[in-house]
Amino acid sequence: MGFYSYLVVSTILFVLGVIGVLARKNIIAILLSLELILNAAALNFVTYTRFVNNNIDGHVFALFIIIVAAAEAAVGLAIVLRFFQIRETIHVDDATQLQG
Amino acid sequence: MFDKILFISSALATIVGAVLTISVKNIMHAAVFLLLSLLGVAGLYLTLGADFVAVIQLVVYVGGVVVLMVFAVMLTAGSSGQKANRFGLVKIPTMGNFRTYTIGIVFAALVLMTIIKLYTNVFAMSRLAQIPAYSPTVSKIGISLVGTHVLAFEISSVLLLGALVGAAIVSRPRRENR
Repeated sequence: MGFYSYLVVSTILFVLGVIGVLARKNIIAILLSLELILNAAALNFVTYTRFVNNNIDGHVFALFIIIVAAAEAAVGLAIVLRFFQIRETIHVDDATQLQG
Repeated sequence: MFDKILFISSALATIVGAVLTISVKNIMHAAVFLLLSLLGVAGLYLTLGADFVAVIQLVVYVGGVVVLMVFAVMLTAGSSGQKANRFGLVKIPTMGNFRTYTIGIVFAALVLMTIIKLYTNVFAMSRLAQIPAYSPTVSKIGISLVGTHVLAFEISSVLLLGALVGAAIVSRPRRENR
C-alpha cells in the first residue's frame, strides 16, 4: 500500500487523540488518548523511513517514542493515583490545588 | 494481496479502536479498545517492514502500558462516600459533555487543516525513494543504538530509572502520623 494511505491513518489517529484529550473529563481517559497521539507520531516516523529515507533512523526514533511513552504512563498514573488518594476524585476540573 | 489485506485490517482495527476509545462510556472498555488500536498499529508496523518496532510495540504497549492503565482504572473505581463534590462535579466521570466534545472537534478540525497545509508543502518537496526488499532490521537497529545513537540510548536508560524511582515515590502509601 502506498505512502499516502499510511499518512491518512496516522493523521486520523492523531486527530482522534486530540479530540479525546480535549473532550474527556476523566484523567485516565485523557492519558489513554495521549497514547493515541504518541502512536500516530511513531507511525509517521516509520512510514517516512520506509518510503523516503530508507535508513534505520526512523525505527530508532519510534523506539525512543515508545520508551518515553512508557515512562510518561508510569509517572502519570502514579500522579493520578496519588491525586485520587488525596482528593478521592479523578475529575480533571477538581485538580485545583495549585490555584492561588 | 496479502499485504493489502493486512494493511486494511490493521488500519480498520486502528481507527475503529481509536474512535471507540474516545467515545465509549466505560473507562475499562476504553482501555480494551485502546488495546485494539495499539494492535492495529503493530500490524501497520509489520506491513511497513519494521519487525523489531512491531514486536517492541506489542511487548511494551500491549503488555505494559495498557495493563498499567487497567490497574489504574481498577484502583480508582470505587470512591467512598458521596458521588459528587461541593461544586457538583462527578468524582469518577465517564465522558465529557456536549460542550467539551464540540470544543474538541473544533480544535481537531483546526489541527487537521494545519496538518493538511503542512503535508501539501511536504509532498511538493519530498521525493519517494525506491522501496527496498524486506530485510531484518534487528541487527541494524542494534548496531545503530550503540553506534550513532549511543548518547540517546544512555539518556533513555537514565530516564527510565528516573521514571521508576519517581513513580514508586509518588505513589507510595500515605503515612498518617507525620
